[in-house]
Amino acid sequence: MNKVIISAKKVERIYSNGIVRTYALKDVSVDIQQGEFVAIMGPSGSGKSTLLHQLGLLDNPTNGSILIDGEDVVQLSDDTRTRFRLEKLGYVFQSYNLIPELTALENVYITPMARGMPEEEYTAKAKEMLTKVGLGDRMDHYPSELSGGQQQRVSIARALVNKPKILFADEPTANLDSDSSADTIRLFRQLNKEIGQTIVMVTHEENEGKQADRIIWIKDGIIDKAKK
Amino acid sequence: MNKNDLKVISFLAYKNISKSKATFFVIVAVMAMSFLSITFFAAIIDGLGYEFEEGMIRGLTGHLMIEPSADSRYLENADSMVGKIKKIPEVVGVSKRVEASAVATHKTIQLGVPIFFVNPDDERQVSRFSESVVLGDYLSRKDNAELIIGTDLVEAYTREDDAKKSLDVTVGDTIQLSFSNGMVKEYKIKGIFKTGSQFSDNNILINYDDYEDIFHESDVASAILVALPSRGREEEFTRKIIDLGVTDQINPWQSKMGKVKQFIGSLQITNTITGVVGLFTAFATIYIIIFINVTNKRKQIGILKAVGIKKEIILGSYVLQSLIYGVAGVVIGIIAMQGLIALLTVYPLSMPIGNVVPILTTNRLVTTAITLILASIVQGSSPRKKRRTTIS
Repeated sequence: MNKVIISAKKVERIYSNGIVRTYALKDVSVDIQQGEFVAIMGPSGSGKSTLLHQLGLLDNPTNGSILIDGEDVVQLSDDTRTRFRLEKLGYVFQSYNLIPELTALENVYITPMARGMPEEEYTAKAKEMLTKVGLGDRMDHYPSELSGGQQQRVSIARALVNKPKILFADEPTANLDSDSSADTIRLFRQLNKEIGQTIVMVTHEENEGKQADRIIWIKDGIIDKAKK
Repeated sequence: MNKNDLKVISFLAYKNISKSKATFFVIVAVMAMSFLSITFFAAIIDGLGYEFEEGMIRGLTGHLMIEPSADSRYLENADSMVGKIKKIPEVVGVSKRVEASAVATHKTIQLGVPIFFVNPDDERQVSRFSESVVLGDYLSRKDNAELIIGTDLVEAYTREDDAKKSLDVTVGDTIQLSFSNGMVKEYKIKGIFKTGSQFSDNNILINYDDYEDIFHESDVASAILVALPSRGREEEFTRKIIDLGVTDQINPWQSKMGKVKQFIGSLQITNTITGVVGLFTAFATIYIIIFINVTNKRKQIGILKAVGIKKEIILGSYVLQSLIYGVAGVVIGIIAMQGLIALLTVYPLSMPIGNVVPILTTNRLVTTAITLILASIVQGSSPRKKRRTTIS
């Protein structure tokens, strides 16, 4: 059995607006093993993305603990969390979230550049990743010059260039056509199978969720044990 | 922050600016216009003040004005003093003057007029009368019974609403001058001058030799005017003149300004106030422009933070961009300002007091430049407030 790479215990995320407290997540505990491809699914507003943001260090839980690769990430300072994200985590977002002023190549190599990698090395790695996702001939194009599917592939290349321990994907196919969506999920499956990439993906498409090793169902901020 | 962080900062700043050229040009243009709006008006006011002072220096006082001591009416041995002072290296000009007054009569009009008896040749180096003749000719040493008259005394050059009396004369006409000692003499108008300074244009200039004929005194002067290469050297040359053995009063032009000094002081206070207001306005304008620019980049800031770029790098890239906007804007503003000054030096602003050339002092240039650049850096650091933005 593979080691547990993410262990979340009794995670809560509460939003306060004066007197009103909204529980986006309530008492959520989940373990994800290294090399696992996990889908998080549930109705709109169930807390899927909120859970992903807690696990991916994009947000801080109000209560609870999260261990990633054995490290208690809730206690980390803001600067340490930023460094952690840079070195160990990768992200693919629904709206690609590429930097419009950077070319595809520059969007991919910005993070290894920030890590201090030499220029020849980060340029080579970025080119390798873009070629792997099928964009070897579009490296010098800006996001505005790429299709939605191509932009998402750049986003995937950016997420993977640093060989992250975990790849987080928040509704990666929501803005894509069916062919591009299928290509994206196929790529995830390929990465998971070939290099054992741990992937945590939020989706509301059941057929995509079925591509994962396991589905975690969320409803009203809690794990829907009935649908495991 | 290490060397690699600086590299990433520079990379992000360069990419932001080069991809958004329109934004760059707009922000830089606003910066340049802010610089111009603060400095141009102030430079005109400074030029106005300078021209007022020049009117006094080049008409009434010179840079140094040697006057008799309290118990004497005139400077004695004026020619000898003039000759000695002329020999001081770098002295531009020295001219003796006798000031008198007379009643000028033409047809039925009579008015009291101040008169300078001058050596026309020496006067050329010290005052601007010789270059301000608008009709006729300037005086020469050979002139006898000829004079040049300022436009403030000539009807054709005075405004209709001007209540002061003036003479309906032109070049070639004759006027009668009645002096304080009872002497009456007719003079032909050789030329009419207009310096633009109200302190000079109400005078009549006559050859010094005529003073000797009328008052039977020679080698005296009410004052000796000394022209120096530039302002600011009055003390240096005062010492040199004292070293020649001159014991009379040596007054720098600043001490002779009188009410002009108060007026210029008021101008400078006004200039300072408008300058401060202008800086605040520019600060607010730059704040809005850069704030909007940064606000539009909130998503980009969030993305960079999310993928693990340090907040110092993100902030640094915006500060660097803002610094580039500020410096570029100030540089273009300075170039534009220098161009305007060069143009207005050739084609000065014609104002009632004279031709005014804007003066941009180094102090004002540096203060404005630093303030605008600082304003842009301060506004560029506003992403600090957005570092908790998360991707949603």
